[in-house]
Amino acid sequence: MKVHVKHWNAVAQWRWNTGNAEEDDEGDVCGICRVPFEGCCPACKMPGDDCPLIWGECSHVFHMHCLLKWIGTVASKQQCPMDRRTWVTAERKVNNRT
Amino acid sequence: MASISSRRLRKELNEINAEGCPCGIKLLNADNFEVWYFSIEVLGESLYQGEVFKLMFRFDSNYPISSPAVQFVIGPDAQAPIHPHVYSNGHICASILGNEWSPVLSVSAVCVTLQSMLASCKTKERPVDNDRYVRHAPENPKKTRFHYDGESV
Repeated sequence: MKVHVKHWNAVAQWRWNTGNAEEDDEGDVCGICRVPFEGCCPACKMPGDDCPLIWGECSHVFHMHCLLKWIGTVASKQQCPMDRRTWVTAERKVNNRT
Repeated sequence: MASISSRRLRKELNEINAEGCPCGIKLLNADNFEVWYFSIEVLGESLYQGEVFKLMFRFDSNYPISSPAVQFVIGPDAQAPIHPHVYSNGHICASILGNEWSPVLSVSAVCVTLQSMLASCKTKERPVDNDRYVRHAPENPKKTRFHYDGESV
């Protein structure tokens, strides 16, 4: 039997690579807004490159916009919301896993 | 567009409705995203056995970047617990409500912290500066610059 494929649709899904082991855990959310990393921060309308994630050297990850909003306040004392260490942005971990 | 606070509070409310509050905490009222009321009691052995208190949370549109204003409600059916960090007007001196607030905290987390603050109380007494504070206290406890001493709570 011969089958002719006349038509096909490609479906793709993307996910930020947070470098966390449980990356198939769909419950990975930004600790500040509680929206999944793949969603966007409350100030944005479209997820993706325009609403990226930010990594701290302490290994904690947030929506960049959420973290910057926090760091911009005096109350934050420039500390990571998770561990209260001084926030130092880590170099973006690109392609550390394929 | 919905403010940051209402989106985040809706998520917290959904979670409370789905999973319930932590033990000893009950949601009394959350009709809007500005003021929520909870009842709080300490389960197990403590100086507050049998006492139920009422907590009020007030949120501004920047929550959780800005901390909620949290206090005990005083009224005909509610009193503030007698505790070294709780003023007789219901204001609470707790660092996580002030300079140790973090936006990853939540309403539930605050309730649990306050519950354990009560649970670990050794002597029922008002703060030493209660009368002076209450006389001049602002209506909103967030306007007070508390000086935190002792163990952080």
